[in-house]
Amino acid sequence: MSQTKLARCFAEALGIQEQAVTDELAYQTIKEWDSVRHMALVAIIEQTFNVMLDTNDIIAMSSVGKAKAILAKYGIDCDAA
Amino acid sequence: MLLKEKVAIVTGASRGIGKAIATTFAKQGAQLVITGRSSAIHEVASELSTHGERVVAMQGDLREPAHRREVVMACRKTHGRLDILVNNAGVLIHGPLGMTLLESMRDAFETNVTAAMALTQYAIRLMSPARDPCVINLASFAGTRGQEGLAIYAASKAAVVGFTLSTAKELASQRIRVNAIAPGFIETDMTQALPEAIYRTMTERIRLGRIGVPQDVANCALFLASDLASYITGQVIGVDGGLLA
Repeated sequence: MSQTKLARCFAEALGIQEQAVTDELAYQTIKEWDSVRHMALVAIIEQTFNVMLDTNDIIAMSSVGKAKAILAKYGIDCDAA
Repeated sequence: MLLKEKVAIVTGASRGIGKAIATTFAKQGAQLVITGRSSAIHEVASELSTHGERVVAMQGDLREPAHRREVVMACRKTHGRLDILVNNAGVLIHGPLGMTLLESMRDAFETNVTAAMALTQYAIRLMSPARDPCVINLASFAGTRGQEGLAIYAASKAAVVGFTLSTAKELASQRIRVNAIAPGFIETDMTQALPEAIYRTMTERIRLGRIGVPQDVANCALFLASDLASYITGQVIGVDGGLLA
């Protein structure tokens, strides 16, 4: 469920289909994921999961897989059912 | 009511200019999160709650990253969004350059600059382009023109000006307006602590013939925060009675 929520965050922030959101999807490898959309993505993730990310984590969030790992630090298991 | 249904964070609101801004905003319908280092912030929140709007008090030190995060989290939890951030919290370091401790220099920049920049980083993530959001930074006449005996304070406030001008450009694409207020000589606990010589010299230079009061600054903040200023960004507005005229 959380994984779906995360995929929805990416889809909404980047304006892409949810099916395109895979762990391998990486920052600046598609035109939709630029620095401006990255901050929009952060805002949506924070709102959805009720967290406030550190700047280090925002910079390190360079793929969907890394986003999951970072959210795990905040106690959010994106792979949980 | 110029700020009806607006949500604002005002830092350093337990006294002086910050308290005047928070009070003015509350009277104009804003819902508030106010911060302050002393327990007096809770009394201010109680006073402001009588205006009928929700006021959350956050006591702590904005030099602490965890506290900055808590402030913005509290705003999101209570109000779900943010429309106005007022970076007012600051310290006044005065004295000859040669007699200023490195620790004091660091304190000035940590409080007046770093804390404001880092809080802004968090705060803008709660702002929606559709709600005409804005950031108001408190600079100083000393930061735009310099003042002997206030070199460190002036340098920190000059940094606030640079931050304001740059973020106004960067955040315009998100429809976030960023402006600064540069107060002149304002009657507060901070300015009363200045040496008599500086105090006398400053008041003699004010062309309108009176020292400013916190409400003078709060009125400017109200204007900048309101929709009346919806086409104003990247400005540093002096509220100084003609001190620099």
